[in-house]
Amino acid sequence: MIAVDQSLIRNFCIIAHIDHGKSTLADRILQATGAIEERAMRDQVLDSMDLERERGITIKAQAVRVPYRAADGLLYQLNLIDTPGHVDFSYEVSRSLAACEGALLVVDAAQGIEAQTLANAYLAIEGDLELVPVVNKIDLPAADPDTHARAVSELVGGRPEDVLRISAKTGEGIDAVLEAIVEHVPPPRGRPDAPARALIFDSVYDQYRGVVAFARVVDGVLARGARLRAMRTGVTFLCEEVGYLAPEMTPIERLGAGETGYLITGLKDLGDVRVGDTLTVDAEPGKEPLAGYHEPKPMVFCGLFPVDADEYPSLREALERLSLNDASLVWEPETSHALGFGFRCGFLGLLHMEILRERLEREYDLDLLATTPNVEYAVRDTAGRRLSVRSPVDLPPPNQIESIAEPYIRATILVPHDLVGAVMGLCQERRGRFVTMEAIEQRQQVVYDVPLAEVVLHFYDQLKSRTSGYASLDYEPVGDRESPLVKLDILLAGDPVDALSQIVHRDLAYGRGKMLVERLRKTIPRHMFEVPIQAAIGGRIVARETVKAKRKDVLAKCYGGDISRKRKLLERQKKGKRRMKQVGAVEVPQEAFLSVLEIGDDG
Amino acid sequence: MTVSRGVRHLYVHLPFCAARCGYCAFVVEVGRLARRDAYLDALVVEIELERSRLGSLDTLYLGGGTPTLMRPRRIARLLAHLRTTLAPGAEITIEANPETVDRRQLEALCGAGVTRLSLGVQSFQEHLLGRLDRAATPEMARAAFRCARAVGFRSISIDLLFGVPGQSPGDVERDVEAALDLGPDHLSWYELELKPGSALQRAAVTLPDEDEVADAYRGIVGRLEREGYRWYETANFARDGHECRHSLAYWRAADYLGVGVGAVSTVDGIRWRNASGLDAYFSALASARPPRRSAESLDADVRRRERWMLGLRLDRPLDLAWAGPPDHPEAIDELRDRGLVAGDGEGDGFRLTREGRFVQNAVLGRLMEFV
Repeated sequence: MIAVDQSLIRNFCIIAHIDHGKSTLADRILQATGAIEERAMRDQVLDSMDLERERGITIKAQAVRVPYRAADGLLYQLNLIDTPGHVDFSYEVSRSLAACEGALLVVDAAQGIEAQTLANAYLAIEGDLELVPVVNKIDLPAADPDTHARAVSELVGGRPEDVLRISAKTGEGIDAVLEAIVEHVPPPRGRPDAPARALIFDSVYDQYRGVVAFARVVDGVLARGARLRAMRTGVTFLCEEVGYLAPEMTPIERLGAGETGYLITGLKDLGDVRVGDTLTVDAEPGKEPLAGYHEPKPMVFCGLFPVDADEYPSLREALERLSLNDASLVWEPETSHALGFGFRCGFLGLLHMEILRERLEREYDLDLLATTPNVEYAVRDTAGRRLSVRSPVDLPPPNQIESIAEPYIRATILVPHDLVGAVMGLCQERRGRFVTMEAIEQRQQVVYDVPLAEVVLHFYDQLKSRTSGYASLDYEPVGDRESPLVKLDILLAGDPVDALSQIVHRDLAYGRGKMLVERLRKTIPRHMFEVPIQAAIGGRIVARETVKAKRKDVLAKCYGGDISRKRKLLERQKKGKRRMKQVGAVEVPQEAFLSVLEIGDDG
Repeated sequence: MTVSRGVRHLYVHLPFCAARCGYCAFVVEVGRLARRDAYLDALVVEIELERSRLGSLDTLYLGGGTPTLMRPRRIARLLAHLRTTLAPGAEITIEANPETVDRRQLEALCGAGVTRLSLGVQSFQEHLLGRLDRAATPEMARAAFRCARAVGFRSISIDLLFGVPGQSPGDVERDVEAALDLGPDHLSWYELELKPGSALQRAAVTLPDEDEVADAYRGIVGRLEREGYRWYETANFARDGHECRHSLAYWRAADYLGVGVGAVSTVDGIRWRNASGLDAYFSALASARPPRRSAESLDADVRRRERWMLGLRLDRPLDLAWAGPPDHPEAIDELRDRGLVAGDGEGDGFRLTREGRFVQNAVLGRLMEFV
């Protein structure tokens, strides 16, 4: 059997702002091409994880092959490579793009261009992808396809009338989309006879089959039974199976140039076949690996501690398992004076952190305490050494610090004109530095460089609430910058609680300290004694609140019939206390650690 | 062979009520008064079934429900049935609702040998009585008290509540003064608890502010002590010699037998509760079988914890030789430093300070595990 003619292959992805209908469109395409039967169709087939379904976002990139007989009578192989739709995962977007020659750029007919539309469109243009603009949701009463089609055509070039107008929900215009893919997305142009080279754009760990790699073959052929080699790691393996997703796994004999599919490696360690690496045939290797991706860099860190110390081994095991499928999750053991043994974990962003925390609690049945998220600081000490500080606890004493630099992101925010003031106000409060502003469509694009540390503390929620949901955000890292940062400590009953420490800007430290002690006063229950709560900067107390001592704690009545009930009531109360962390003599509920996170309008 | 002296405390549950009060979650029967005589007959059968457990009774407590809805003649007959079982000088208490008593009835009860009357007043403020669904007016309460005195009751207790939704600090003070005016020998003054199953709990009312309730509690304790009442238990106050011996038996973890629907007994390390249904109770005892019961066995650890839980309610030092060691003796020094406990377990014994008694749950939580 000869390889499939590359001129009949189209590799494409769908890029869109969150909620603009990417997953629905993907489902429609699968359905229209008969890749899945109507009755087997669940909503949003591509989003396989429960959490993805609940949150309506796509986390892992996947590739589905669909056969399509076009108007020209030829049978095409369309490979739809899914992309994540959240700003935390722009890294994964870029690697999906690298496996494609074209992209459907989907814009909501009511909302128009949003921040991630722009960000993803720029990524695709940089990657030399052919963009097929689509205005979706034309069935909505508030739809204004003409206006948004004009704006999209200005963004990607071309004429407004060439922008497709569809409703993925009703199915209207889907055929035109498929034809446009065939017509406008260029076929792959690899060398079928050259030594094999395939780009790994995703890999997952399957507990029965080991590491499964998803790859786009650029040159040559990868066949079942061949010994393959990952060019960067040098690891070789016997390829147990090759195939494609339809969307279920469908084994075939080989994947030829231009094709996309999966390979079962039999390997146990996801690190052996890294995303971005190039697969080649061991016996006749390619000369150069393909251009890969940057390693995903964790941006946000927090300590995760089991509420019950006995669950430490289970937490470790759960993290190990999650890491199998998530190369971007990093973690190392951490010991907190207040919280005991746990792990400092690194995430791509806040959403990534929340999703993983939820999975740990839900899928592994763990009760966890998460400390305030923070970023990685580049510290230079007075001895000239450079330190990477991922936890406030590791910050050297002030007199040993020469300088601290913190990561900044460039936030691109799209917002209606009348809300520009609110957005700029928020960015200023969060120590943002103004970069540019320009009008796009009927809106303003506001660009600020903001310290990531300020973004991780509910920046996105605040942006949404202050603009009634009209602002959209995308961001990219722009490197470290020096800032006058200090460590803010919290003391309970006189003792510092390391898990509540934060690194904050000197000018904001006082206000943040005041707010924190106030929050803690509201969450820490009364004890038999007064509990002073203090905020300190470099040993100097800057704010203080007091949880008053209990003045009454009795069971009113206790007679014959009540004795067992009262005893059981005390037993229940004691159990309730187990969900608190004993910090010195003070019992701290989990909400206290979380309340530190919440910076609302009062923050 | 060890000879058990037998159980010395008997509780008789009389569940009949005219209506259920808003704060009540007890086993009560509303609107079935026609069965009240038959119920007393069934009680006697249950007592006879348990006869072998009984020793000479030091206390007998007729609680409810509303015991004063029973015909006095029938109460007298029950007491007569127990006459040979009651020790000389036994304390015989009956609970009474002010609106259900009259002079003839009180005379009959006194004459039948009841030594102690516990009057369920709850408040002397009309708006609070309404809130609690109490049928009596403050005037009825006063009249009932004076009448009981007049017919010869020498030990009368008043039940009152604080922490009632809508109760102002002034209301509390007025209640204290109104109660003192009557000159009771004993007062039980409870904080209102929203019990699961009560109407108030279902209505999700807001309880008064924690500090306000603490102030009320402390005010009540202080005022009653100044008037010569001993704060001998968390919620109970008595003039010398008028402590409720029956309740003290509970707090000292003595064995007791309870008969009637929903009644609880604790004998020789076993605690059981009679099922609460009236019909099932009748049919079991009609064939001279005990009613359906649920039982739990109290192991040594549970008993030790209960002794601590109960013993710390009393103002007298806890005898460590009797109660057993605390789970966390290391906490004692800290608690002493905070002024919550005094004594060392030797001589003076171990006791809560006045301040410690107000937060006894928290103290208990530090000392004992309760797993």
